[in-house]
Amino acid sequence: MTGQQIDHLVTMANQIALNFGEQRNLNEAARRTAEHLQKFWTPAMRQQLAAYAQAGGDGLSPAVSLLLEQQRSHERSIHS
Amino acid sequence: MLHYYEPEQDYGTPPVESSESVSLSIDGVTLAVPAGTSVMRAAALAGIKVPRLCATDSLEAFGSCRLCLVEIDGRKGYPASCTTPVEDGMAVRTQTPELAKLRRGVMELYISDHPLDCLTCPTNGDCELQDTAGEVGLREVRYGFDGANHLAAEKDQSNPYFTFDPAKCIVCSRCVRACEETQGTFALTIEGRGFDSRVSAGGVDFLDSECVSCGACVSACPTATLTENSIIEQGIPEHSVITTCAYCGVGCGFRAEVKGEQVVRMTPWKAGKANEGHACVKGRFAFGYATHPDRITAPMIREHIDEPWRRVSWDEAVNFAADKFRAIQAKYGRNSIGAISSSRCTNEEVYLVQKLVRAGFGNNNVDTCARVCHSPTGFGLKTTLGESAGTQAFASVEKTDVAIIMGANPTEAHPVFGSRLKQRLRQGARLIVIDPRRIELVNAPHIRADYHLPVNPGANVAVLNAMAHVILTENLHDVEFIESRCEKTPFEEWKAFIADPAQSPEALQQATGVDPVLLREAARLYATAGNGAIYYGLGVTEHSQGSTAVMGIANLAMLTGNLGREGVGVNPMRGQNNVQGSCDMGSFPHELPGYRHVSDAATRALFESAWQVELDPEPGMRIPNMFDAAVDGEFRGLYCQGEDVAQSDPNTQHIEAALGALDCLVVQDIFLNETAKFAHVFLPGASFLEKDGTFINAERRISRVRKVMTPLAGKADWEATIAFARALGCAMDYGHPAEIMDEIARLTPTFEGVSYALLDELGSIQWPCNERAPRGTPTMHVNAFVRGEGYFAVTEYVPTDERANRRFPLLLTTGRILSQYNVGAQTRRTPNSTWHEQDVLEIHHHDAQERGINDGDWVGIQSRVGTTVLRAKISDRVRPGVIYTTFHHPVSGANVVTTDSSDWATNCPEYKVTAVQATRVSEPSAWQARQQQFDQRQRQLLVEATMDA
Ligand code: SF4
Ligand code: SF4
Ligand code: SF4
Ligand code: FES
Repeated sequence: MTGQQIDHLVTMANQIALNFGEQRNLNEAARRTAEHLQKFWTPAMRQQLAAYAQAGGDGLSPAVSLLLEQQRSHERSIHS
Repeated sequence: MLHYYEPEQDYGTPPVESSESVSLSIDGVTLAVPAGTSVMRAAALAGIKVPRLCATDSLEAFGSCRLCLVEIDGRKGYPASCTTPVEDGMAVRTQTPELAKLRRGVMELYISDHPLDCLTCPTNGDCELQDTAGEVGLREVRYGFDGANHLAAEKDQSNPYFTFDPAKCIVCSRCVRACEETQGTFALTIEGRGFDSRVSAGGVDFLDSECVSCGACVSACPTATLTENSIIEQGIPEHSVITTCAYCGVGCGFRAEVKGEQVVRMTPWKAGKANEGHACVKGRFAFGYATHPDRITAPMIREHIDEPWRRVSWDEAVNFAADKFRAIQAKYGRNSIGAISSSRCTNEEVYLVQKLVRAGFGNNNVDTCARVCHSPTGFGLKTTLGESAGTQAFASVEKTDVAIIMGANPTEAHPVFGSRLKQRLRQGARLIVIDPRRIELVNAPHIRADYHLPVNPGANVAVLNAMAHVILTENLHDVEFIESRCEKTPFEEWKAFIADPAQSPEALQQATGVDPVLLREAARLYATAGNGAIYYGLGVTEHSQGSTAVMGIANLAMLTGNLGREGVGVNPMRGQNNVQGSCDMGSFPHELPGYRHVSDAATRALFESAWQVELDPEPGMRIPNMFDAAVDGEFRGLYCQGEDVAQSDPNTQHIEAALGALDCLVVQDIFLNETAKFAHVFLPGASFLEKDGTFINAERRISRVRKVMTPLAGKADWEATIAFARALGCAMDYGHPAEIMDEIARLTPTFEGVSYALLDELGSIQWPCNERAPRGTPTMHVNAFVRGEGYFAVTEYVPTDERANRRFPLLLTTGRILSQYNVGAQTRRTPNSTWHEQDVLEIHHHDAQERGINDGDWVGIQSRVGTTVLRAKISDRVRPGVIYTTFHHPVSGANVVTTDSSDWATNCPEYKVTAVQATRVSEPSAWQARQQQFDQRQRQLLVEATMDA
């Protein structure tokens, strides 16, 4: 994982969640952030963010952590 | 559409709109015209020209020259036809022996004080005085030149584009009225009385006057008194071609008036619906860059950016680029290359670039410069209203009762719309300006804003929320509109959010910096004054909450029912000429033409079958993603068409690092711009005068661009892209841009009915243009929103991270000025630089004093990412705590200071707020010194360019 990109990805993801009302409704913000990333981010960017979360996810906001966690458990359920 | 040159027909007085029709006869010809029409205009409509000098159809009749006299049955005397309205049953005679005698007498007086040098006069053959003397049959002038006259009056040649030769002036005051009525600047007056009366630019020469060099007076002048220097130097044109301005998003129609292949004058086109015969200094005069010696006219390549360029054939250049791109993909994967297209190019050209990326590169890594200006408009309006575009035609402002101008400066950045708006304001429409800076409209001649809300940079959303709060809680909202047109659940959710006292102007005052009393009054005015229209610009979009602010604007309009008819609406003022078009053409990495997401299988199938390739269903990289990935070594090849990212994008040093890291940078441009200095392949571009195509302006108007000269480099930009695509093995078979438009129309529902034939017929078309609207759509969302029901998005105010703090206590905001355009590559290469030789830093005297800064001092501006140095200009247009600059000159390095902070939804950079410190310094910054060195080195490598045998 490389510096420039991941720093910006974390900032951007947090910013998106905040603007989707993270402080008012965590679940809803997580859902809409996930949707936004799916719609506007490249798969590589999404993967980098997921890998970062898996490796500890320092600095990720609650809604972003939540959505990445939800995605991980969704994948686990598919693979199991 | 090539026309032999002749001046556009002049009907003498402006058209009148009326449902009532009046019938009359003129010289035996019977006709019906709208009530209120002048006799002069009616005559012109019947094909009869009444001699005239003080009247022209761009101005209200004035009735001063007494040449247009006519006889009317049953009336005494000889009324002036320009000021006499038609009446039912009127019988008018325009040619009688008495009239002839009277007219000759008047003409004789004029000519007795006019030089008789017609044969050597620059406007010989294009002069109304000359024509009129002929029309009235003037044969002798009895008074001679012995009496007092003005023939020795001195010329004013201070303006670089036109000359004022008062010896030829007939004091018809058309120029004075043009400056007032058409332009709204009030720079000219008639000084003195009777024989002594003369035109004056306020007692100083034109350059030092209030004149903004729009050229309206020059167009209106019937004599050679005000004449374009190009006409003085080169004579009158021999043919003309209708085309569209390539500068700003107003998209003015022009007649390019030409001699052979040399443009001698650009005249604003009267039938152009965006401008109706008006223009600004850029489109009207600043076209000389097209033939500037800096133009690069041969393709060039080099292995490394430290090597001199090699001039090569087109074939060699595109093959060199194609080999590099294929090699990069082979080594680093399909997604390691991409392209950036330009809003300065035509629709057909940007369409081809995105096609090349999607079909040729096999990914969706295409983005356009709208990323850095209006991408939040796309996101915000699509979310709330369902279509990524402004809702009105410019002419709609004529029915506006109250206008909000937010984060836009129309008189500088969209001058022709600015003039239209001023006309409406002088008629009595109300005005609310929301801007950190006191823009001209706040207090202009005969105009005063009812409210100026000097919002803190970065707090637009808070202001919009507070306004909505006032309108809702004071029950000023349009309940019926909301119930019948908007989605219920989101509205309820929004209502709960916005009615909360936390959104009141009082609670948000700390953030907005705006007096809550003023804010409340402004909100009430917008909600209750009748037709309310919002015009906004980059001061709204270029923020960390740009998209939220756009949604806040749409919310306000829906809340007050100000959508779906003339006089209202949500109107983004687009920066560059074709921002709307380049977005429409699928230039964003997540959507195909017509704003359809790449994940939509049905749309993909359509393009896949047309292009015979499989398309990637996942979004590609945006510009900032490309640069980040380049710095990290994952993105290695970029095709950059007509866009100077090294100068225009934020955090210059980051961009330079990214460009420097690329294995192959292909730049297509008309000049060796800042980005090209990092390039390995240079494909010479063509100016708008050298190609056919279309532009789409801020009102969704598709207008033709027509070729008036052969491309200097042998290929128009669309041909260059085709050559590059073919070298990559991507088939593109088009013989003319009309065929590209046909493909766009076949594949894009909103463009279904568009063709060059229809554009020729109608002059221009506002999309959507399809079966339901075969002649286009001036007003959108008339009975329903494009998305069905309007969506109230919750617009929570999230303060930007770019906040003033101890280290960086000031907020820097950026903008534009009238005479320069964007990065200035074009306008700096014209005499427009007379008005703006350098970018300066506007600073309030409090902040200046505190720092010991005087007017004209060098000031170092430091942000967390870089430092640059500019000259100070003490100004009260900005308030304490805020400093302001423009970004038209590369050496200013305004973007060395701007950071990577960006809009949350679209990554549009936050150019409008950067926390900085300003200090007095003695010399330019280290970056500027490096930049100068690099610039010199690259220029040298251009000089050393070798020619391939
Ligand atoms: S060029 Fe325009 S602004 Fe200048 S005096 Fe003429 S009309 Fe007025
Ligand atoms: S400068 Fe031209 S338009 Fe103005 S008063 Fe003189 S003749 Fe008329
Ligand atoms: S720059 Fe804009 S306002 Fe000026 S002439 Fe061109 S399109 Fe019109
Ligand atoms: S044209 Fe009518 S009075 Fe001059």
